[in-house]
Amino acid sequence: MAVDPTAPSPGTSAALEPGVALGQTAVAGEGGVGPYKLALRRLRRNRTALAFGAMFLVIVVMCLCAPLYSKYVAHTTPSANHITDTVKVGGKTEDVVSPGGIPIGPTWQGRFFLGADSNGRDVAVRLLYGGRNSLEIGFIATLISCLLATIIALAAGYYRGVIDGVLSRTMDLIWAYPVILLGIALGTALAVGGLDFGLFTVSGASLWIPAIIIGVVYVPYMAKPLRGQVLSLREKEFVEAARSQGAGNLRIMFREILPNVASSIIVFIPLMIANAILLEAALSFLGAGVQPPNPSWGTMIGDGIRLIPSAMHLTLIPGAMLVLAVLGINVFGDGVRDALDPRAEVRIEH
Amino acid sequence: MTKLSKVLVLGFTAGLAALGLAACGGGGGGGTQGGTATVLMGTAPDYLDPQESYTTQGWEPNRIAYTGLVTYSHENGAAGNTIIPGLATSLPQISADGKTYTLTLRKGLVYSDGSPVKASDFKCTMERLIKVNFGGKSFITDNVEGATAYDKGQSNEISGVTTDDSTGKITIKLVKRYGAFTNVLAFPNLGLVPCGTPDHTLTTTMPPGVGPYMYKDIVPNKSFTMVRNPHFAQLNLPDIPTGHLDQIKVTIQSNTQTEAQQVLNNQADNFDAGDTLPPSLVPQVQSRAKDRFEAVTIPSTFYFFLNTRIPPFNSELARQAVNVAIDRPAMQRLASGFLTPECFFLPEGIPGHPTSPCPYGPADGHGDIAKAQQLVKQSGTAGQSITVWGEERSPRKEYVEYYADLLNRIGYHATPKLISDTTYFPTIGNAKTNPQTGFADWIQDFPNPVDFYLLLTTSSIQPVNNENFGYVSDPFIDQQVNKLSPTPTEKLDSVASQWQGLDEYTAKKAYVVVYGSEAVPKFFSDRIDFGSAVVNPTYLNDWSTWQLK
Repeated sequence: MAVDPTAPSPGTSAALEPGVALGQTAVAGEGGVGPYKLALRRLRRNRTALAFGAMFLVIVVMCLCAPLYSKYVAHTTPSANHITDTVKVGGKTEDVVSPGGIPIGPTWQGRFFLGADSNGRDVAVRLLYGGRNSLEIGFIATLISCLLATIIALAAGYYRGVIDGVLSRTMDLIWAYPVILLGIALGTALAVGGLDFGLFTVSGASLWIPAIIIGVVYVPYMAKPLRGQVLSLREKEFVEAARSQGAGNLRIMFREILPNVASSIIVFIPLMIANAILLEAALSFLGAGVQPPNPSWGTMIGDGIRLIPSAMHLTLIPGAMLVLAVLGINVFGDGVRDALDPRAEVRIEH
Repeated sequence: MTKLSKVLVLGFTAGLAALGLAACGGGGGGGTQGGTATVLMGTAPDYLDPQESYTTQGWEPNRIAYTGLVTYSHENGAAGNTIIPGLATSLPQISADGKTYTLTLRKGLVYSDGSPVKASDFKCTMERLIKVNFGGKSFITDNVEGATAYDKGQSNEISGVTTDDSTGKITIKLVKRYGAFTNVLAFPNLGLVPCGTPDHTLTTTMPPGVGPYMYKDIVPNKSFTMVRNPHFAQLNLPDIPTGHLDQIKVTIQSNTQTEAQQVLNNQADNFDAGDTLPPSLVPQVQSRAKDRFEAVTIPSTFYFFLNTRIPPFNSELARQAVNVAIDRPAMQRLASGFLTPECFFLPEGIPGHPTSPCPYGPADGHGDIAKAQQLVKQSGTAGQSITVWGEERSPRKEYVEYYADLLNRIGYHATPKLISDTTYFPTIGNAKTNPQTGFADWIQDFPNPVDFYLLLTTSSIQPVNNENFGYVSDPFIDQQVNKLSPTPTEKLDSVASQWQGLDEYTAKKAYVVVYGSEAVPKFFSDRIDFGSAVVNPTYLNDWSTWQLK
């Protein structure tokens, strides 16, 4: 009994119960089509969202192909320095990095297609590897946020009382800190010492560090709205019915309530990915995210800042890639939200 | 010319000369008196505490706030290496055996708070230097009688220092002859502070001192201001400028791009000489600010330390491999050209700097990766993991990233670990960190090879604030340093060949990977009189010589 199509939809909670609302719309409007099928139809009609989603997908595929580009086109690795090397551009031999320390700009050929950085590293290779790292962190952080937020929201909303009090106040505490400051504080501390979970440890240079940090700091932004929905759903008749049939608390939470908040979670996912990528870039720019020698779009922008007047490509290229990726997933995420529940106004605000 | 004309010309000339002399006295120079200058520093001073600071960023302000018994001449270049009397009436009288130094404090000296300076304050200052654990305290504990016992808590005072407040006489007894001890006395860390100054690190309020300026409004790691010491000018200390500016405001600006841009645009007055100009701005600075910019070569050694106690660099072959592989011209490009490739530990300008060829390939060569890979294999250390420590600021960050890549290319798994500039040296200087390898640099404390070799002697290894980052402990180096160190600075030429032999030995043992000497930027705004601003070879910018145009 995932969705109760006969459940009434009280005015204020309609937007908070997308599953229920979608069920009703489906029955009333489209002759028994399931909510997710209906959402997919709506999404297909939203050409803008699909176009931006496709753009994001292209970026993801390009980044996944980084090792191939690196090996067969650029013939270098993202960390290989070529400071005193030379490259032929239009038949002319040029320094990869000039004696005065200025790196070469885009050559529009296999080697140094987008130019080099101050250490003579191939910007195109680093851009693709950096994208892989940024996207990987974005996806892992979103997964962590979704898992933790869902569990916390279900526990707090369903049990209420002391458990709700403790969990909600903890969420308030994290929410009270500006995301960037909290990220910097955790990032700086963990980059030196790493994380020790007893059974396994994560080194300070691992990509898991920024992923875990971003995943944790965004939990309240998702957990609090979900908790509100769970608080409302636990009073519904279908929950009472399950309880009267002898269902345990865990079964009610995961079999009855969770499916009814699933569409909200789905709406959150692309928005969380976009925010996680942005936060990763900000932290890496400030030196508290991805640690060298791993590239990321944020670290590339940070490294290029000091060379802006003479090597603008070092900041412009990763900056443009970041904008395109975030724009793509954000617009697509808005499309998903509109498709699943046109009345919902899910936003991640901080 | 008539008799009257001759008299008039003579009188006019005499008048001008008198005016000139008057201007040279006290403040020195004929520029504007008063006003405020703003300094931007890329790295915050390690400490402002006068006894604890051990970086040029800390010494620049401390030198003008805390004068010692002797000090260095406020001149550019080699002339700035000359030691002159400071708060003492003359340079120390040294006994025939070279173990007793006697000085007399000038009369009528007062601190910036108006309280009198006493001879016993010198002893308190030296004791405080040990208590606050100054990174170079071994200069004192290794040489002054009773200083080691005081350091270990076995004594309540340094027995080798005796003072007489009534006569101002100060006597210092050394455990052995140490030629550079007059240089040690000229450390800004021995700038006098009153007895009773707390024996712990001071961060926001500094003790009174004797100098043309004093501290005000200190916000640690952010900003501080130097204002005139109202009591200094009346002391009339010969050859020590009383300062021209009323205030010097210092702000920490870790982004060197912004730092340089602001000085270029005359929004700030000085670019910290300890920072490197961003490469993208060098052409602009050289064209737009050619009359207020100069690259000044300073005797300095930039190198990567190699921890000789732990793998892989406890293997001499592994250390040789890194020295064989390094591409020094690449490092020069990372420094925007502000680096002269070198392979020896003693830099050019220091007596004993070898003139022989580098043992592992020419200093301006691009390195031999294949040979290095072979050496790594021979050493049996191939494939080992290495953490390469470095600072976050450019170009030091880039140096370390290049170095980590180099180690990977010759057969290791190296990962850079970049930490904040303000915590870098205390972190790698802590025995608990036990770093494998990383960035290090040394700018002379004084023009004597023994100052550089402090970094490579067994006695300098300390549990905290250690400067011998590679834990080099070689009996030959210790023995040679002990043998050569008694030679007074002024007679160094007589033992230069022996220092050279020692430095060649160190290079062959590959204890460190030296890659060059740095030139520092002397870079001011249009407001400052560039010609009169002094860059001392040891303490860099001499703020007491600055004046507005």
